[in-house]
Amino acid sequence: MYTIRTGMTTEEKLEILADAAKYDVACTSSGVDRKGQKGMLGNCSAPGICHTFASDGRCISLLKILMTNHCIYDCKYCINRYSNDVPRAAFTPEEICELTIEFYKRNYIEGLFLSSGIVKSPGHTMELMCRVLYKLRTEYKFNGYIHIKAIPGVPDELIAKAGYLADRVSINMEFAVEDSLKKFAPNKNFKTIMNPMEKISDTIALHRLACGKDARMERSAGNRYLENSIFNVKRLEERGFGRKELPVSFANGDLRRSFAPAGQSTQMIIGAGNETDYELLQTTQKLYQNYDLKRVFYSAYVPLNEDSVLPAIGTPVPLLREHRLYQADWLLRYYGFQADELLTEEKPDFNEQLDPKCDWALRHLNLFPVEIMKASFELLLRVPGIGPTSAKRIVQSRRYGTLNYEQLKKMGVVLKRAHYFITCGGKMMYKVPIEEQYITKELTVVNRKENWEIVHRNQYHQMSLFDDYAIG
Amino acid sequence: MYVYTCKSDYDSMLSCIYEAWASGKGHKNIKLCVEPVEQFGLFDEYIHVDADESKAEKVSSAVWHKISPQVYWEISYALLSFEEDALDIVYRLLILGFHFGPKVLDMVQYREVIRFREIRKLVSREAHSFREFLRFYCVNDNLYVAHFEPRSRVLMPVASYFTERMPSENWMIIDDTHREAIVHPKDEECYLRILTEEETKALLATEQEDYYSRLWRNYFRTMGISQRENRACQNNHFPLWMRKHVTEFRETEA
Ligand code: SF4
Repeated sequence: MYTIRTGMTTEEKLEILADAAKYDVACTSSGVDRKGQKGMLGNCSAPGICHTFASDGRCISLLKILMTNHCIYDCKYCINRYSNDVPRAAFTPEEICELTIEFYKRNYIEGLFLSSGIVKSPGHTMELMCRVLYKLRTEYKFNGYIHIKAIPGVPDELIAKAGYLADRVSINMEFAVEDSLKKFAPNKNFKTIMNPMEKISDTIALHRLACGKDARMERSAGNRYLENSIFNVKRLEERGFGRKELPVSFANGDLRRSFAPAGQSTQMIIGAGNETDYELLQTTQKLYQNYDLKRVFYSAYVPLNEDSVLPAIGTPVPLLREHRLYQADWLLRYYGFQADELLTEEKPDFNEQLDPKCDWALRHLNLFPVEIMKASFELLLRVPGIGPTSAKRIVQSRRYGTLNYEQLKKMGVVLKRAHYFITCGGKMMYKVPIEEQYITKELTVVNRKENWEIVHRNQYHQMSLFDDYAIG
Repeated sequence: MYVYTCKSDYDSMLSCIYEAWASGKGHKNIKLCVEPVEQFGLFDEYIHVDADESKAEKVSSAVWHKISPQVYWEISYALLSFEEDALDIVYRLLILGFHFGPKVLDMVQYREVIRFREIRKLVSREAHSFREFLRFYCVNDNLYVAHFEPRSRVLMPVASYFTERMPSENWMIIDDTHREAIVHPKDEECYLRILTEEETKALLATEQEDYYSRLWRNYFRTMGISQRENRACQNNHFPLWMRKHVTEFRETEA
């Protein structure tokens, strides 16, 4: 069964091709519900399932591998670049299928995350990847989750094919500004990234409409109706979204088949180029609004290559910055914030000391304190220490009687942050001045422990996948 | 205080609720608890209740019709919990439920409701965690066997998930804590089996490493990025007590 084709065993290949794939952060299996079927193997569950956690605390949910790490490109930041002298390997399609199936049956994984270095040409590589997926879906009857990383600059037909076989398709932006992309990935350009992204986005929308869903991806229920939210239903309608027919090259697809039902995602590298947080977050917001991406991931750059234009090997990985960006991304997706409320051109980077939400609240002290018994859901969400779940609980339960601080705590409100910003039954919890300098000082102390952990103990939360859905 | 005690199966617990309710001793003077009782109070009177299908049925149907089907599902789930106060809290919830109707689940200004929701959540978390962390070992090439040791009785919800996931495989999930197993023959309905001690022992031998489990261990080791190592975070997400039967954490390096 384990034929040696290139003189290397599957085991050796797996070691090389998993190692080469591990720097891609996306590993979720979320976004699609699919029932199991007799004769097939697997199902999908929308909240996503994490099977284990690696030594760095990140969740492992998919078999994340490269088809091959041979590559004709020379992206500066990448361990697999052409000019690096690293061991190379390539899987056969059978090897990938068998690993996926056997790992899946033992409940190690939810499915496959396939990406690849570029052999011969982007088109040739993508064709091979599609062949693997096709085999896995048909011959091996695999019904679990598949994420494919599409390669920029391939014919549309191949992107279409990938979409019909996979649950999620991603194309990595890598950088938020074109200059950086040119500098670090000389063989890539924005056009070959944005063009397929747009086509995939339109195609997903049309397929969703055809099976009776809303054209846009599901979002946190609360956030869709918040006045200011980037996903506000009315606002999106005004912008207009999606074309009315399939891109010509996709046209022979059957609309009732599912097409990338878990949506699209992308990834940007943090700390290799010199874009500001403001640019990164603006780009993120645009990707959500214009291309309806399901997720935007950030990957703190881990220096692996000696290169004069890159941070030297041994430079600390910017984990805190990555963490701030994820927090901000959260605020966009669940809390009804917009990018330019959090950052501006004049103040383009996040405060290292404070999380983005506290930072925002301190700049808007005139809105506080808010009264728990009366404040709108929208305003409650903006109080540091109150999240979508606790805001919802407050609104639900205050109908039945007066609340007190004890109850707020039980509902999940983090009082050590929130108490500066709220009154409950007309009273503040402690007598504190609502004064910017004072509260900043206090909250910095609250934040400090957390920050320290992120920087020094690599305290890194890939925020729980579960929260993606548990929030209502 | 009158303490009503019973075994931990579903019918016993519902019968216990029935008896306590019907006793007319006043809700304030009653406590319910599952056996074995850890500590006997000096001034308490203990009343053991046996399972009685018709009493259990009466409680089920009253909850279903007079409160709501949703509350019925919620309490059946909460009763799987290993938390000591689970049965008593379900009783308290029902008192409120018969008074306020289906909206009781939202009435978090009652301490009992908050605790009920906590218990309920703990059970579904435990079930969810084991859906993720259960590991199958391949036996004789065509049977997949998983062992686990849950605190709550989550075998059913866990197994029902796998009937979706692997309808056309032969598999078996064994709850070593409560000595029960769900057996799933390929393309058929699964069934529950209470295990004898010998069977439990014999089945333990099924945790055998094979080619793919070795590959998986290697893969798992490779995936950690050393520059971001964070054991605290790993331990947070994957509690140590759940690791006993998990391939990548087992010490049995072949
Ligand atoms: S295309 Fe660039 S990023 Fe992708 S494998 Fe090749 S060198 Fe690495």
